[in-house]
Amino acid sequence: MSLLAVSDVITGYGPTIVNRGVSLTLEKGEIVTILGPNGAGKSTLLKAIAGLIKPRAGNIAFDGADVTGLAADVMARRGVVLVPEGRKIFVDMTVEENLRLGAYARRDEAAVEADFETMLSFFPILAAKRRDRGGSLSGGQQQMLAIARGLMTRPRVLLLDEPSLGLSPLLVKEIKAIILGIGERFGASVLLVEQNAGLALAVASRGYLMQNGRIVVSGPIAELRDMSLMRELYLGGVAG
Amino acid sequence: MQQVSIAVDIFIQQILNGLSIASVITLIAIGVTLIFGLTGIINFAHGEFLMIGGIVTWLAVSAGLGFALAVVLAILAVGLMGYVLERGLFRFTLERPTNGFIVSLGLIVVLQHVVVLFWNPNQKSIPRPLTTVWEVGGVRIASVRVMVILITIAVVALSFRMITASRYGRALRASVEDRDTAALMGIPVRRYITGVFVLGSALAGLGGALLIALFPITPFTGGTMVMKGFAVALIGGLGNIYGAVAAGLILGIVEGFSAGYGFSQWTDAYSFVLMILVLIVRPHGLFGGTSGPRMAS
Repeated sequence: MSLLAVSDVITGYGPTIVNRGVSLTLEKGEIVTILGPNGAGKSTLLKAIAGLIKPRAGNIAFDGADVTGLAADVMARRGVVLVPEGRKIFVDMTVEENLRLGAYARRDEAAVEADFETMLSFFPILAAKRRDRGGSLSGGQQQMLAIARGLMTRPRVLLLDEPSLGLSPLLVKEIKAIILGIGERFGASVLLVEQNAGLALAVASRGYLMQNGRIVVSGPIAELRDMSLMRELYLGGVAG
Repeated sequence: MQQVSIAVDIFIQQILNGLSIASVITLIAIGVTLIFGLTGIINFAHGEFLMIGGIVTWLAVSAGLGFALAVVLAILAVGLMGYVLERGLFRFTLERPTNGFIVSLGLIVVLQHVVVLFWNPNQKSIPRPLTTVWEVGGVRIASVRVMVILITIAVVALSFRMITASRYGRALRASVEDRDTAALMGIPVRRYITGVFVLGSALAGLGGALLIALFPITPFTGGTMVMKGFAVALIGGLGNIYGAVAAGLILGIVEGFSAGYGFSQWTDAYSFVLMILVLIVRPHGLFGGTSGPRMAS
């Protein structure tokens, strides 16, 4: 049984259909990526899994239980947490307050403190900026904070939406190391949505290729990397 | 010499008068600004919440209860009313805050006329709960005004402490800043919305109780008070609770001056002139506000 199983999910906004029947799975300990061009419906799918929007149809199961249509705060408490596109840092709050908000629903105070210290050592830049406003951080620092804040919830599934967006190649390398470390350091499985195929292919073990709201190809990363179809559909479309 | 000391007397008294009325307005403005910040709903019926707080106080005092107990009853009654109205009406308008605004306009009429129906449209007053007038170096200070100011300071200080220092306050600020992302942290934003309606209403109930301690009220008192509450919330920056308090203080001083120096018939206009000037120069208010909640995109 998969840790997370999405079956035939249809999503949309108003009259627009975004996902047209998407199915995918995520196993414990895996890093899986969803690739695809802009507007393919990747972010919308993550929002549906995280509970920010309700699927129109289909089924989402987490840890064997049906969680379709549960609200985002309930999903977060259960252990499925989205690090949203564009970081969505609380800009008027300090770095420390942002991190502590991640632990809002937790009652294991001692473990929260331990996790807090872990974040500061895992992300040294956050330790240095602990008392600074979230809004004063650079894009890369905000991304680190967003990931650390997500990890403070102690997720079992971390949904990462475009973590490399707008970051320099050097920072993308750092993010890559962080994503690879999430599994072993924090025991979370990762579902990664990326436009930066280089990053996605480097960290994930399996991948799905989404186009026009549907999964068109799926398989182990090595296969996806070689596929000419993928090159045509996706890699070719990315500048650089 | 005599001239100067009289001027100082008037000055201090007017500031005190201005601040006591501004206290009541600040209590409304906090509720208005919190509810808007979290839901985007502009609740124009908030003035009627205040008026009902005054009516409850009047009923309790008329029934022979002490003023302190009457204040507690007003807070509880209006807090409960806020809970019922949020659960029964406003929560259905969360996706479209404009509908909430229109609902609040309807509520104004309903609440006013329910009060008129049961307790007639006449002016209502209670005996001053504190009658002492202190004379300090020629300055006459009515203790009831000092009481209103001190109670407001205490309540505002307590609210600030809750909002800055507690886990709930942190979650509330996060929800005001970004409702969706707050939910991603496991924060039950819907429950915070209910909580803010209850808190905002309870503060309006307190404001009404304090207002009737200063002046007589009618079932139609809410209108002017809520307009000033909005002016204060806008001057401070809608959604910004610190801004609301600071703007309340500014308004109190401005109104005190205007009443003390020969333009008292214009007192009510000052808050609006101030609001218009501030909004022309700083469209988001003096201290910066939110543009309301970010909706699920």
